[in-house]
Amino acid sequence: MPETIIQVRDLVKQYGDNTAVNSISFDVNEGEVFAFLGPNGAGKTTTVEIIETIRTATSGDIQILGMDVNKNRTEILKRIGVMPQDFSSFDRLTVWETVQYYARLFGSDVDIDRLLKLVNLGEERDKHYVTLSGGLKQRVGIAVALVNDPEIVFLDEPTTGLDPRARRDVWEVVKDLKKRGKTIFLTTHYMEEAEVLADDVAIISKGDIIAHGSVDGLIDRFCSTIHVAIKGAGPGVKEIADEMSLVSESLGNGNVQIEAENNEQVVEILNSLKNKNIGYGSVDIRKANLEEVFLELTGESLIDKGDAK
Amino acid sequence: MNFKLVYASLSITLKEFYRSKASMFFVLLFPIILMLLFGLIFQDQGETVYDLHVRDLDGGLNSQNITEMLGNTEIFNIIEVGDEVGDIDDAKDYLTEHKLNAMLVIPEGYSDGFDAIMIDRFLGIPTNDTVDVVMIYDPANTAAMTKISILNSIMDGVNKAATGMPDVLVLEMETTVSDDFDYIDFFAPGIIAMSVMTTALFGTVTINTELRQKGILRKLATTPLSRSEWLLANILYQLCMAVLSTISIILIGVGLFDLNPHLNLFLPLFVILNVFAFSGIGMLITRFVKEAESAHAAANAIMFPMMFLSGTFFPLEGMPDFLQTFAKVLPLYYVNEGLRAAMITLDEGTLMTSTIVLIVLAIVIFILGVLLTSWKHD
Repeated sequence: MPETIIQVRDLVKQYGDNTAVNSISFDVNEGEVFAFLGPNGAGKTTTVEIIETIRTATSGDIQILGMDVNKNRTEILKRIGVMPQDFSSFDRLTVWETVQYYARLFGSDVDIDRLLKLVNLGEERDKHYVTLSGGLKQRVGIAVALVNDPEIVFLDEPTTGLDPRARRDVWEVVKDLKKRGKTIFLTTHYMEEAEVLADDVAIISKGDIIAHGSVDGLIDRFCSTIHVAIKGAGPGVKEIADEMSLVSESLGNGNVQIEAENNEQVVEILNSLKNKNIGYGSVDIRKANLEEVFLELTGESLIDKGDAK
Repeated sequence: MNFKLVYASLSITLKEFYRSKASMFFVLLFPIILMLLFGLIFQDQGETVYDLHVRDLDGGLNSQNITEMLGNTEIFNIIEVGDEVGDIDDAKDYLTEHKLNAMLVIPEGYSDGFDAIMIDRFLGIPTNDTVDVVMIYDPANTAAMTKISILNSIMDGVNKAATGMPDVLVLEMETTVSDDFDYIDFFAPGIIAMSVMTTALFGTVTINTELRQKGILRKLATTPLSRSEWLLANILYQLCMAVLSTISIILIGVGLFDLNPHLNLFLPLFVILNVFAFSGIGMLITRFVKEAESAHAAANAIMFPMMFLSGTFFPLEGMPDFLQTFAKVLPLYYVNEGLRAAMITLDEGTLMTSTIVLIVLAIVIFILGVLLTSWKHD
């Protein structure tokens, strides 16, 4: 049984009449990457900042590393590492000086050069922060969050605004951290990020956790559809779907997409193609993703909302 | 209070300052400009020479005498206007056309009239006759007013001399200041007080609103650095800025304008107290006013009354009573008074009052800063 490292019970946060977080409860286990997935304004940052002790909950019981966030602030801060949303740092300090400053704040004698290598910033050590690209800045943020060798690392929207390559670079760093046994609390509105990194995903919408589980578990539970796209097929493909009472859609040019409900049906479709001697160019089989889970659960799209900042 | 953290925070802010040529420029520029400006304005205080345009329509001996006499006072630089001005109306046009603020016109018949009166006097014939000279001036111009009042007192002298009576009442003047001080010496303490205030107040507000906007304060909130350690590091940083600007003011004053102040330990003391009070106020502003623009407006709202009401530019004496009372609750008033006492008068009473008021104020503001500002947001 993995150990619970963060325990949130009935967390409520209100701003005046507006309820930002509506009585949520969840656990995070030691050593896992926990992703808090939801569009902007869903309450992710509010929740994570309450756990980081820099915001106060209206009500609820929050334990981190076995300590109450309202009582053991100093002790908690020493043992967690935080990269806040929109991380930024002092413009005219070098990368090395930036990390050194935060290390001094924690009284940590961490080997700064080794830490910079860990986040692939070895070559940038003497560059001023202001001259770095977005992806490199985020990696400085991660390095800074690691100066005290924390047990839990909080990364709040670590790849927002990054191009795909810079995003993948950050993901590599996160995976590496996980290998080193860190627990990672990740908030993101990119479902792909959660799919790639997370062991455990909580989907949050309008202050409520609407689903919580592993990526595969969530997909199986809420959106088990398997998309089977048959490309360049001759006639008769739609009939296969009809015989099996499955939803199908003709995409033109002989491309047909069938929505299978389980693996057995996928095999049956392929067998039928063979038995009926229907020729085809290629078959593309794809499981549903978290985006579709979110759509299924809320009727709203995660990405459009998320990127419409 | 962990002083290692204060030191670490101070050294990175100083490093950033040192690397930003722009902020270095502005921290030094403001006091230097003020000092140059006031130094130049008051450089020749007491020896000012005013241009006075004179049109002598009379052309007689007496009118030449009075023109010469005005020139000899060394207050006026006489510029004689020629034939293009034929009468008073011409003179008015001439004034407007040449953008002058005043012209003295000696009308035709002046010399004869003057002689007639003097002969009557000599013969003991009582007379109420006068001769007139006409001053044409722009009423919106203060220099013209000054010229008129100087002319008036010169003419009083002439009139008195004409009666032949000796003086009864004589005004003797002695300064309260023992040494020989120029006007710039009185001004420099006010400029130091004001630029240190401005640097500390705006420096603190600017840095903290900028760091808040960039999310750096949020990050610092997740470290063991406490709010009071950050507050102290900020104040020490502003103190470094204040020392820089004070030194540059004194250097410029001494180098260019013969500034000759007393230098003693009260000078650094008042600079330190000034910084503590106003960085503290700046910290409180950024705690309660989150947006950069409103925070700067709030800082301005605090700074302007101080600038004008604490005796830096205008003496308090001429102000209404309630403003004078109000001035005495302004911290800058005590910095001004204290610095003036420290650098000029060496008045012990003022030194003590200012020191005590400012120490209490600085402590109260620092404590408020520590108590009221917290890293946590709601």
